[in-house]
Amino acid sequence: MTFEGDLYRLGVKIDLIEPAAVDLRALIPAFHRWIQKQALAGHLLIDVHDYSHVHEGPGILLVAHEGNFSLDGSDGRPGLAYQRKQPAADPLAVSIEGARAACRLLETEGLRFRADEFLVFANDRLLAPNTPEGRSMLESLLRKAFPGARVALAPQAADPRERLAYVVTLG
Amino acid sequence: MLNWKEKLAGSMPSDLAGEIDVYETQIELRRLGKVDEKLFAETRLRRGVYGQRYDNGQRHDGTRTQHLGYPSAALTKGPETMWDAPGMQRIKIPFGGLSPAQLELLADVAEEHADGILHVTTRQDFQLHFTHIDETPTLMRRLASVGITTREACGNAVRNVTACPLAGVCHTETFDVTPYAKALSRFLLGHPDTQDFGRKFKPAFSGCEQEACGLVHMHDLGAIARLVDGRRGFRLFVGGGLGTVPYQAKVFSEFVPEEELLPLAQAIGRVYARLGEKQNRARARIKFLVAKLGIDEFRRLVLEERALLPPDPRWTSYIGEAHAFHETPSKPPAPLDGAPRPAGFDAWAATNVHRQRQPGYAVAAITLPLGDLTSRQARRVADLARRYSGDSIRTTVEQNIVLRWVSEADLPALYGGLVVLGLGEPGAGTILDVTACPGTDTCKLGIASSRGLAREIRGRLAGRFFTLDTAARGLRLKMSGCFNSCGQHHTADIGFYGITRTVAGRKVPHFQVLLGGTWKDNIGAYGLSVGSIPAKNVPLFVDRITERFVRERRGQEGFADFVGRIGKQECRNMIEELMPVPAYETDPSYYSDWGDPREFTMGDLGTGECAGEVVSRLDFDLQAAERLCFEAQLKMEARDVAGADDLAYRAMLQAALALVKEKWYDVPNEPAVIAREFRARLLEPKIFWDRFAGGKFAQDFFRRHDGGPVSSGDEVRRLVEESQLFIEAAHACADRLRQEKAAGPPLP
Repeated sequence: MTFEGDLYRLGVKIDLIEPAAVDLRALIPAFHRWIQKQALAGHLLIDVHDYSHVHEGPGILLVAHEGNFSLDGSDGRPGLAYQRKQPAADPLAVSIEGARAACRLLETEGLRFRADEFLVFANDRLLAPNTPEGRSMLESLLRKAFPGARVALAPQAADPRERLAYVVTLG
Repeated sequence: MLNWKEKLAGSMPSDLAGEIDVYETQIELRRLGKVDEKLFAETRLRRGVYGQRYDNGQRHDGTRTQHLGYPSAALTKGPETMWDAPGMQRIKIPFGGLSPAQLELLADVAEEHADGILHVTTRQDFQLHFTHIDETPTLMRRLASVGITTREACGNAVRNVTACPLAGVCHTETFDVTPYAKALSRFLLGHPDTQDFGRKFKPAFSGCEQEACGLVHMHDLGAIARLVDGRRGFRLFVGGGLGTVPYQAKVFSEFVPEEELLPLAQAIGRVYARLGEKQNRARARIKFLVAKLGIDEFRRLVLEERALLPPDPRWTSYIGEAHAFHETPSKPPAPLDGAPRPAGFDAWAATNVHRQRQPGYAVAAITLPLGDLTSRQARRVADLARRYSGDSIRTTVEQNIVLRWVSEADLPALYGGLVVLGLGEPGAGTILDVTACPGTDTCKLGIASSRGLAREIRGRLAGRFFTLDTAARGLRLKMSGCFNSCGQHHTADIGFYGITRTVAGRKVPHFQVLLGGTWKDNIGAYGLSVGSIPAKNVPLFVDRITERFVRERRGQEGFADFVGRIGKQECRNMIEELMPVPAYETDPSYYSDWGDPREFTMGDLGTGECAGEVVSRLDFDLQAAERLCFEAQLKMEARDVAGADDLAYRAMLQAALALVKEKWYDVPNEPAVIAREFRARLLEPKIFWDRFAGGKFAQDFFRRHDGGPVSSGDEVRRLVEESQLFIEAAHACADRLRQEKAAGPPLP
């Protein structure tokens, strides 16, 4: 089985630096301004949804047709998550760039994000189950995307019910 | 590429798998423009696939109305409903009961097909938001693999059958209504007699008269358990409902023996389908029919209908199983006694734990803020259920989850597990446990932000919950984004629903205030409106009215009695103090809603889909025929001649059946009978008759029916064409039948 050509439901999450200083709900107006300006290239920005009341949930969600952006609190590690929903020519590169573009905009609001590490996850249990086989395939995909020895990959989520995910650390 | 359909083949019940295949074909037909958008809208609604706010391709962004340029711009999934616009999937959970495995699957689909949040509704359903219609067949297949259907979760159909979440373990119940709720749900699902309603139809069960949990009096059909001379049965109600003007249900019968429950429900459905309003949506719920006819006449018509029903073994086949029904706990019972209690446990247990009727067991409520939980939380809750409860997870109408059959000795460990998940908050069933419909967050009909308001009030109360007087803690707050009452605001001590006012040319979100609903006696009385205040003043009003209640209540006086005693004028005075809206230049915050910084507008209001589209049974049946014909064409393409022949014939048979049913509703679904009746009732009287072609299309049908399968490619290709023409002729015939009906004598 191979999923490289079919798997586009990929996600990327970049952790916040000093998350305790961030008031998630204070960023709701920023997301609304992004919609006014359609500020993220390649995305039809649609709506903002407040999930700040949910423990370690999507936090503040910015819904786009192509993928969702969120100030996500899962794993107790607040960060910017981008989750691709529509196919793309190079979904991994598009997902990484989607997350980075949103981070760049949020940095203008005073937030800071880690530059040395991010999480890549597959949101597709059919093509990329959280199994040894799935891990090996995602790892291979990531190695191709980041050639060279200066990248460390660490699998996440031992619970096979959770999504397949890798922490990518840039050397 | 492997897909879920292939992967799950064999693990879905065949009936559910078949229905989903049909639905997927309907999606394809709509894509090809072969199904009218209105018909398709009702089709998807009956699979629980709803539209969401902004799906008309427009959204006010705070400065202007922005056009949302969805990629499939020309394609719609209903009137003014863009194909690519995010939608909502409602998932029926009969009586709110689900297993850990089902909860885990729900978690997976929420993550992969929605936004990673499972939302519990006020009718024990789950809702997933921001879904795409293209993914709904896959989503449904995955749900079907664990025995969950979304069929008739929306639309003009029998909605989720709800029941008290304490059924089977409650101290006050007469008997466990769970198996009856399950049986009614199964029996009415897709039943031919429930396919032609003018509006939705909501049933509910309660084990007792005095508690609120079952909400029987506000339902279209309600059943309260009763024993008469040792026989099980129900006090049966009809014609309740909330909506703009709430109705209390009327007693249909003081005692319906258990064996009569299903046939009477069927007969009620037939009378509602026959006599209920179809054109004026605002008057189409059964409550209006009952009010119009009077309960005595309605009862007479139902009993008359009941007497005509052909016997159905399903009416009673479940009863033995119902009497034997029991749930298996994970652990034996054990008292809590002196077990160590973690910090916070006692406060949590005081509001969230209820001792069961069965000694040594308890029900633990998991408070879900605004009814939401993440996929990850859901998986862990499934784990906790397996460890401490068993197979018995239930959702509640107060948008929580309860775990039943928890050995009391395990409660501290369960609490510890919930705290780790961020789900250990106390306050279930208290003023903190605010109920809210989706409102302007996602609903097309929402006027004000019920969830934004609920979040704000909850946040303010959480910090001082333990300093509140116990009388204030016990109050219930419920809010809806509009007058349609999905937040069940009439049932609360203090209820709100969203409205708007114009101040100096600008729109200001407001909430209408209702006081004095009674959360007992299956909702024995509804709250009464006392006036409206700006959304931004609602939290202040909550503070003032609760403080006054604590200060001035007499003895153990309840809130409804308190409100009745101080009088409506006094309540109105309290409201009036909070009515003024400051000028925009002084305080612009009043001109935005809670949680939404955009200047408030009504421009985003859409056309609601709760009412569904008025599409007759005949339209649906003819669409089914078209779908079969389309599948025949696909078989031809795939060179499956035998398959194409069979489907083309079945398409004609289906169309003939659809028409015959207009003349003889209970016609058996047997080819020979359908053909005979079609000839006698439609062809020979020249009702199925083309002005130019005469009976040709019918003859095509009879040739295949009498002659059996054809086998050559050419013959089958011709048959598929004839099948299409037969269906077209059936549509024309249907128009004539409608005209005939319209010209006929008025219904009683």
